[in-house]
Amino acid sequence: MKLNWFSPLPPARTDIGHYTARILPALSREADVTLWTDQAEWDAELERYATVRQYQPDRLPWPELNRADVSFYNIGNNAEFHLAIWQVSSLQPGIVVLHDFCLQEFFAYVYRWLKGDRDGYINQMGSLYGEMGRIDADLWWNDQLSMAHLIERYPLTPLALADALGVVVHTEHALTFVKRKGYPVAFAPLPFAATTQVDRGSQAQHEPPYRLIVFGYIHRNRRLESLLDALAGMPEKRLFRLDIYGQLSDEERVRAQIAALGLADAVSIHGFVPEPELDAALGSADLAVNLRFPSMGEASGSQLRIWNHALPSLVTRVGAYASLPEETVAFVRPEHEVADIQTHLRAFLRDPIGYARIGERGRRRLEQQHAPDVYVRAVIDFAAHAQCLRLGMLADDMVERVADQLGSWVSPAPPSEMFRRLAEGIALLTST
Amino acid sequence: MRIVIATVQSLFVRGGAEIHAHGLRDALRAEGHAVEIMAIPFKWYPPERIVDQMLACRLFDLTESDGVQVDLVIGLKFPAYFVSHPNKVLWILHQHRPAYDLWNQPLGDLHHHPNGLQIRDTVRQADRQLMPEAKAIFANSMNVARRLKCYCNIESAPLYHPPQDAARFYCADADDYFFFPSRLSPNKRQHLVLEALAQTSGVRVCFASSANYSAYARDLLTTVHDLGLDDRALFLGDISEEEKRAWFAHARAVLYPPIDEDYGYVTLESMLSAKPVITCTDSGGPLEFVRDKETGLVAEPSSDALAAAMSELWGNPAAAEAMGKAGREYYDSLDISWPSAVARLLA
Repeated sequence: MKLNWFSPLPPARTDIGHYTARILPALSREADVTLWTDQAEWDAELERYATVRQYQPDRLPWPELNRADVSFYNIGNNAEFHLAIWQVSSLQPGIVVLHDFCLQEFFAYVYRWLKGDRDGYINQMGSLYGEMGRIDADLWWNDQLSMAHLIERYPLTPLALADALGVVVHTEHALTFVKRKGYPVAFAPLPFAATTQVDRGSQAQHEPPYRLIVFGYIHRNRRLESLLDALAGMPEKRLFRLDIYGQLSDEERVRAQIAALGLADAVSIHGFVPEPELDAALGSADLAVNLRFPSMGEASGSQLRIWNHALPSLVTRVGAYASLPEETVAFVRPEHEVADIQTHLRAFLRDPIGYARIGERGRRRLEQQHAPDVYVRAVIDFAAHAQCLRLGMLADDMVERVADQLGSWVSPAPPSEMFRRLAEGIALLTST
Repeated sequence: MRIVIATVQSLFVRGGAEIHAHGLRDALRAEGHAVEIMAIPFKWYPPERIVDQMLACRLFDLTESDGVQVDLVIGLKFPAYFVSHPNKVLWILHQHRPAYDLWNQPLGDLHHHPNGLQIRDTVRQADRQLMPEAKAIFANSMNVARRLKCYCNIESAPLYHPPQDAARFYCADADDYFFFPSRLSPNKRQHLVLEALAQTSGVRVCFASSANYSAYARDLLTTVHDLGLDDRALFLGDISEEEKRAWFAHARAVLYPPIDEDYGYVTLESMLSAKPVITCTDSGGPLEFVRDKETGLVAEPSSDALAAAMSELWGNPAAAEAMGKAGREYYDSLDISWPSAVARLLA
């Protein structure tokens, strides 16, 4: 089988790039893979397993793309990494790998800043979410409503699936939604190859100050503000150090808050570091803080990375995180963030080994459910049905076009015999 | 019987498919049958139009017309052969080749489109599902039958038929030229012949027929000039059937090196004219009739090899004449006739 795989690639600063790198060895054993990217550079290591080809959405090499049996489009919420991919996916149906369930920010960007299409955006919101969606879309367009409000209520997921042959999802929530919409769907937990073994239970040598870690692409929904408030409000704050790795969407604001809260000695901002350095930081941390609110509906690659280090973690009880087993994470309620964070930090001080056990259980879950080979098998099995999926989509297209034609000159409604013959004809041409 | 021949046409174009359909109609009428040709205009671009026309053909009702039953439908070309009828025979000239052997090949077009894969799969699926409805499946040649088996796992019997006005071809004394009668088109490879011609001495080639692709024709003329072949490559343009037969009759040999031709009337016309054929190892249909060094020469598809073959026959008129006669005898031994074809179709 030959696959086209559209994805951000390392060193792009997105975990979806790392996800592709993680599954590529297993994927390349099952299929002949071509990685397609609009990036100017990529990790050369990827070329051990696949051909890497650059593309521009307005000049696609269709003969080369058509050599594959099916194309996979990795879609996420960040337009910086996924805009070109989405543009290709709307031209040639393929299998969408849905990394984020909520794509409001993505499509808001497309409509407002890329296309400047206010009416288009409002009409889509109205079409999917009714009058309330239309009203809120208009308010947001006029800067009278926040994006956070829209993200919570209007995910706009269907816009990424309109041309999909099928969808791969990583969360139960996304699975339920996609199934309800009638798309062919495959569910597989996000893959991560468990690596280093860590026995945190025996690491009693970790003593205060205990190291907290936050990492990744740190937008406001990562709740760093609440974590800093929680720390600042605790007399025990001297017993913790917070390391922040990755890209802060508003570093100036974060630094100002740190200064205002008197946390300069307790918090270090490291920025983006090489992967080995981040792994070392995770390896020596005591507690990860992996909050999300609002959630984009994503399955967190960060969470898997945390579990790989058997690191205990605080997560928000929302979205896909809410369905994680209680014994593998420590939950924070979105409406009681600061209080719950403080409760957990105090509990950690009383029983660090107990929290270490949480991390170990997370690690076991990672090993059992997130092996890349298992994920790849699910993806390949789904891809094998691509031809059937393509014919099914064609049947839908034909029905629409025939209905259009009939609607334009047949009134009242055509007789059922006509529909029967049309349906038979379409089915005969497209059934497998 | 009342028989409908279901085929397609490119409007304002008359080629081998039209000759085939009309020859079949006339042959069936000669045996007393009432015959009509249903020629559906076929537009294959943009690709989604292909599926529309497949569906349209499928929806035709040919069971009867004006109260009169249609006894037999003979389907010749895609997608007309999808028409539904309880008594249908297929005589496949060729499938929709851009979805098969021309997929992702330079001469194909479907793979240049974003929906190319989807249309390709639909064409293949429809062929596999619907062809077996026929009571019998014949193919224009062993080459077409081979493709049908290879891509669709469908068995078919090769069934040859004579070219138009077969009885009127004749042989005359050879003049100093090779004859290449064919549409000026990349798949016929006139450019390859010119490149080979430039490597020969004294050989002259006369090309007949108009251009399918005007850009290709312009390129050929430029090549003639660039290679200094102005006095050895003659382009005749469109000629009448009578003129064509005369050019065949007086040729020293016939050049016909297309890429993977389905059948190839030119080969049969050459044999009827008792002229040897120079063709190539990848030319498809012609190879079912040209026996290397017996009725013609089969060369590798390179200018060097073709030039060597051209030089060989040019330099040995006696051998060329002998091969031509052998070709005629071989043709006669094959019993390629309309009565034979009709008998097999109606059996």
